[in-house]
Amino acid sequence: MTTGENPFGELIQEYIVECLPLAEQVGDAFVELERRWREGDAGNDLLRQLKGPLHTVKGNSAMMGLTVQQSVAHALEDICAMLASAPTPNEKMAGLLVSGSGLLIELVKNAAGDPDSDRVAQFLKRAASFRAPAPDSAESSAQAERRQTDRRAVNTWSAAGALSSNVIRVDFRRLDAMLEVLGEGMIEQAAVADHYRVLAAKIGATAELADLDRALAAVQKTFKQLEGILMETRLIPISTVFGRFPRLVRELAQARQKQVRVITSGGEIPLDKAVLDRMGEPLVHLLTNAVVHGIETPDERTQAGKGAEGTLILRASSESGRIVIRISDDGRGLDEARILAKAQSLGLEVSATDAAQVHSLIFLPGFSTAEQVSQLAGRGVGLDVVSNTIHELGGTIEVESRAGRGVTFTLGLPLTLAIIRSLIVEVDRERFAVPMNHVAATVRTEPDTIHSVNQKGVALWRGSPIHVSDGGALLGTAAAANPSRRFYVVISMGNRRRGILVDRLIGHQDIVVKSLDPTLGRPEVVSGTTILGDGRVACILDSVRLLEQRMSA
Amino acid sequence: MSAAPQPDRSDGLLHFADELQGVSSVPEAAVPGPELHLVTFGLDREEFGIPIGQVREVIRVTDITRVPQARQHVRGVTNLRGRVLAVVEIRTRMGLPPAEITPRSRIVVVAVHDRILGILVDTVSQVVKVPVQTVAPAPEEVLSANTDYISGVARWNSRLIILLDLEKLLLLPE
Amino acid sequence: MPNSFLVVDDSKLHHQIYTIVFAKSVLAGAAVRYATDGQEGYDLLKAHPELTMVFLDLNMPVMNGLELLERRRAEKLNLHVPIVLVTTEGTPEDEARGRAAGAWDYLRKPFKPADVERVIARALAQAAPRSA
Repeated sequence: MTTGENPFGELIQEYIVECLPLAEQVGDAFVELERRWREGDAGNDLLRQLKGPLHTVKGNSAMMGLTVQQSVAHALEDICAMLASAPTPNEKMAGLLVSGSGLLIELVKNAAGDPDSDRVAQFLKRAASFRAPAPDSAESSAQAERRQTDRRAVNTWSAAGALSSNVIRVDFRRLDAMLEVLGEGMIEQAAVADHYRVLAAKIGATAELADLDRALAAVQKTFKQLEGILMETRLIPISTVFGRFPRLVRELAQARQKQVRVITSGGEIPLDKAVLDRMGEPLVHLLTNAVVHGIETPDERTQAGKGAEGTLILRASSESGRIVIRISDDGRGLDEARILAKAQSLGLEVSATDAAQVHSLIFLPGFSTAEQVSQLAGRGVGLDVVSNTIHELGGTIEVESRAGRGVTFTLGLPLTLAIIRSLIVEVDRERFAVPMNHVAATVRTEPDTIHSVNQKGVALWRGSPIHVSDGGALLGTAAAANPSRRFYVVISMGNRRRGILVDRLIGHQDIVVKSLDPTLGRPEVVSGTTILGDGRVACILDSVRLLEQRMSA
Repeated sequence: MSAAPQPDRSDGLLHFADELQGVSSVPEAAVPGPELHLVTFGLDREEFGIPIGQVREVIRVTDITRVPQARQHVRGVTNLRGRVLAVVEIRTRMGLPPAEITPRSRIVVVAVHDRILGILVDTVSQVVKVPVQTVAPAPEEVLSANTDYISGVARWNSRLIILLDLEKLLLLPE
Repeated sequence: MPNSFLVVDDSKLHHQIYTIVFAKSVLAGAAVRYATDGQEGYDLLKAHPELTMVFLDLNMPVMNGLELLERRRAEKLNLHVPIVLVTTEGTPEDEARGRAAGAWDYLRKPFKPADVERVIARALAQAAPRSA
């Protein structure tokens, strides 16, 4: 015991009086935390509350020369700090915390005597293995980014067919890391190809250059193969998400005395795990809407001449490089009158005769009609949030409704988030990437093809008039409007199209998508960035947002 | 330490160092104890310092791509070995005109919380070890509502290093 | 004039610790006051411009040591009174932050009575305590 030599040794009882309740408070909190984790709640507020008591016990122990108590409190304090910034709720961690606080309580209670050094050593050893290494200059940027995606991927990944001996469990983060490295490799490879081109232009055709060309092509092919394989490992059948819906729908329906059956198809369609992880919530919300607001009670249905049992159909299919998910119900359809009324109350101008336009209003914020206070819906997420989530993933969402017959939501999702084919364009010496999945065409601007109607540019494309905006004006480049831009790119989604004037079409490229750094804020015209072959960064156009905008210029 | 000199209301931050030329700082020999390890860099005529623990590296300026509709004070993004790094212009954040990139310009890559980003500076001076005891609050005339990112000053070796609070500095307006 | 000290710390144990530290000074006629939170500490600082020194704990609920220092600086309250920031946190950055907020000195835990005595002696030796 060290308090003997300690100048404050006589205060040992005061120490216990002050620190024991604190240690017990910590112990109780950890038990509560364990319960919260089981319910899927990270418990950050609890972790924050624990900072004070643990710090005080640590400091007090230090002052009393009680280094053992100090070390245990310190270890717990560090772990709590680590968890607060990088939550990793799991059984083992919870067990460690609960046993650690139990140990601390006993150590404080018996501060006047000798501590159980074996037990302490054991705990400290376990604690040390859980602590993340302190971030220092040596930490790779890849690690930091990975920890960000970790925070979303708290769900464990259940591998399909885990019983088969051909299957091994791989931490999804490893795949992410592999993909990231591959992405960097592809960038470097594009750079090499660039250098080759420059060299070839300089020295002209030689046999050696032809060899080099072949070798480069072979390397590129290898990369593409590797990319394909890696992409596949990230793919998970949609059925893993669809699987829990029948039960969810049954519970929702029962709570409202409705009868609903669920039919799913296309569960075998694979989707990138990153996309799938984020799709869960929007899908649940759409289903909840369908059951709660769409499908009528058995009485209402029989009166309307329908079967008492409503039907919800979830269909996934693969169409031209995208995954399409359709959620259909045979309920009462969207209440157009109510939507129009809401639109008017919000001051929006809507043409009542354009059904499609009326229906698409439900994706705007503020349109949570039908009292989104449904208890089962819990957080009451509006359709605008669903729409945003899907757009963030680079997808699309549309709705069709027939009064009295039902509603169908059609979601379009990219097969993968990471690498997409793009058209590289140039506007005022700045280059931008336009994802090919929304590019309908590129058109050379002929004189007099763009007319001014109400001060907006309009051109005829495939017989229909489309708005054509100046790329410079849209993207804030050097020249706000340059009538002599040589091309325009037609972007389209569903039945919407618009043209964007650019100076040059550079070419097609598979680009590695890097999401926008939060430091940049929330630009609306660009959805991400990428690194082109010459090493320079280019912004990726957010075609979806641009197509949803009201045409202003 | 004698009191701070007469406040000059005219220019505050930028001319502060000029005024302090005559004031002696703590003599080196008399200052033992722990030291603050700083990376110092220059903006206009002033010298600023940030703790080395927050600095990951310093790189030359290559291309900075503008990002449309980015937040204020974000000059753009640049390629850092395959990573897209946001570059913040602290000159404009401090009310100075944007930097003209010269061969001496640098980007100081920093880590704040879990974000990594770059700060564009005119020059990078050096890494210094400054005795902590030379740290003092930033004088009144330098502080204003807009400069909460200045956490203090270190007067050492006849230099005045203005200490920056990176977290506050990088809290950018929308 | 006899010395007077102010201890601002939310830990009752630390109040007891300081009574041991100041035992000799009290015998020599010094006055020691105790506050259990930042607000109380601030009020006491305001009421006693004759304080020889304040010992301020960093981690307290409601108003912590750093916040008290910053408030004092903003309101220019008794800036001549040396305030020593006391804490277990000890990186040079933490210390710089405390000094930049106006702490006259920085005391790391655990400390012994001799450490406190040394700090007080230094303050008294500096005939004119430094202004913030």
